Amino acid sequence: MPGQKWKEQLIRALRLYTLLVTLITVVIMILGRLLDRDRVLSYEAFLSPLLYALIGTAATVITRSDRELSIRSLIIRKAISLLLIEGAIILIALKADTIPTEKSWVLPGLALGILAVFVLSHLILYLIDRKEAEKLNADLARYQEKQIAQSEDKDEI
Amino acid sequence: MKLETRKIPESEPEMVEIRYHWITDEIQEIISFVKSRQGQLSAVRDGQRFEVPVVDLFYAESVEDRLFLYTAADSYEIRMKLYELEEMLRNQSFLRVSKSMIVNLMKITSVRPALNGRFLAVLKNGEEIIISRKYVPSLKNILKGGES
Repeated sequence: MPGQKWKEQLIRALRLYTLLVTLITVVIMILGRLLDRDRVLSYEAFLSPLLYALIGTAATVITRSDRELSIRSLIIRKAISLLLIEGAIILIALKADTIPTEKSWVLPGLALGILAVFVLSHLILYLIDRKEAEKLNADLARYQEKQIAQSEDKDEI
Repeated sequence: MKLETRKIPESEPEMVEIRYHWITDEIQEIISFVKSRQGQLSAVRDGQRFEVPVVDLFYAESVEDRLFLYTAADSYEIRMKLYELEEMLRNQSFLRVSKSMIVNLMKITSVRPALNGRFLAVLKNGEEIIISRKYVPSLKNILKGGES
């Protein structure tokens, strides 16, 4: 069912995007309060998490493949995707007038923040998958019981 | 090859008779198909031919255009394409879980998450196989009583 497969992929992408927007907003808030408490931001600041999350979601294209990727090549692709996200967001920060990149803590703080969001998003997605696996296991047990019962019925006939 | 079918009275048992000069690949394929319908697959291990009961099969994997069958402890080679076997075993709890593999759902002990939306199926003999993300929707669907 190709339709269902596309639907699943879209749901995964939207789930990742929403998760990234939330995590990025939290990280910006924490870093801002810790390191740049007095700063006043305009309404445009609300755009940043949306844009950064879009970059993070788009970068998952690197780990998408028609071939079955081995765990090793998947980890390599994940690392490349992290580097690309770091590169893209730091580049945006350097070009933007609103981000004080001249302060020594800003770029390392940004890089660490991106890493934290990357790790946290993977951890949360893993927990969601674990929940899905629990459901699959329950469905699998029911399916196996049903199949065994059906084959016993056939034997009796 | 000439094909002949004949309607018989219900009192007579149904049967398939294959008349051959030599067992060619084509003949072997037909024999394998008929045996699979009877719950057995004709496969080769160490140069010897075995009849492998479908219920004992854990999974089948295609490696470089060769198809291998795996039971709890043994592996066999079968002269068939993966998609042909998949089609043959469609109604017998077998499901495609990756590009190169079909698995017997009755031999899965549990499923757990792997990286990137994939899942690992732990089989009853302790082996672990990857369920590719692309095939997870089919698995969910069949476990809920639908079709793959």
